[in-house]
Amino acid sequence: MLILTRKLGERINIGDDIVITLVEIKGAQVKLGIDAPKSIGIHRHEIYERIRKANLESSDVRDADLARAAALLQNISSEREDKVAD
Amino acid sequence: MQIKTTRFGTIDVTEDKIINMPSGMLGFPDQKRFVVLQHKENSPFFWYQSVDDPALAFVITNPFLFKPDYQVDLEHTLKEMSWNGDGNNGHLELYIVVNIPKGSPDAMTGNLIGPILINNKVRQAIQVIVADSPYSHKFPLLGEQKS
Repeated sequence: MLILTRKLGERINIGDDIVITLVEIKGAQVKLGIDAPKSIGIHRHEIYERIRKANLESSDVRDADLARAAALLQNISSEREDKVAD
Repeated sequence: MQIKTTRFGTIDVTEDKIINMPSGMLGFPDQKRFVVLQHKENSPFFWYQSVDDPALAFVITNPFLFKPDYQVDLEHTLKEMSWNGDGNNGHLELYIVVNIPKGSPDAMTGNLIGPILINNKVRQAIQVIVADSPYSHKFPLLGEQKS
């Protein structure tokens, strides 16, 4: 990994179109400003990872489990209807 | 056209059912064409099946069945996709990605921070990243149903 030291207000260029500015330093937190083309997705890593993992897990769902899940939900909604009928 | 799938064999879909996803699903950037297949009658679930990878399909559902007050700010996404044309959003559909742990259907969850937004007019879709929200990526679908 390339590691660069920067002072407040200094910038880093990545390729031609991406500029990162060190906007603020406050204790253990730094604020970064990022200029990039809008076609490039910029996300906090942990949010990106959560969604990526959730996608991965969903792509691995077994048909049998999905059928049981659907049946569970159907039972619940028919129980509700029974209660309403009472 | 015919689509090969590992779960459903070869299926026939008309071209106008194919949804183009320019950026793909997060973690799956190479798959850009999908179809929405109803799981079965009386099931709230759908398969979001890749057109080009027979083995790739996600389970999705309508979030509002499970979280009626679910709200996502789509302004940025609409701009990014250039979908903010006429102010009429009747052609937009929102789905969430569902996970069902193996052997534990009662522990099924939905990801409220990465919904799929489909534009039926232009047959395009994008996975929206919901930042700074109170929502969970593991929202219990059954938990809310029970309460």
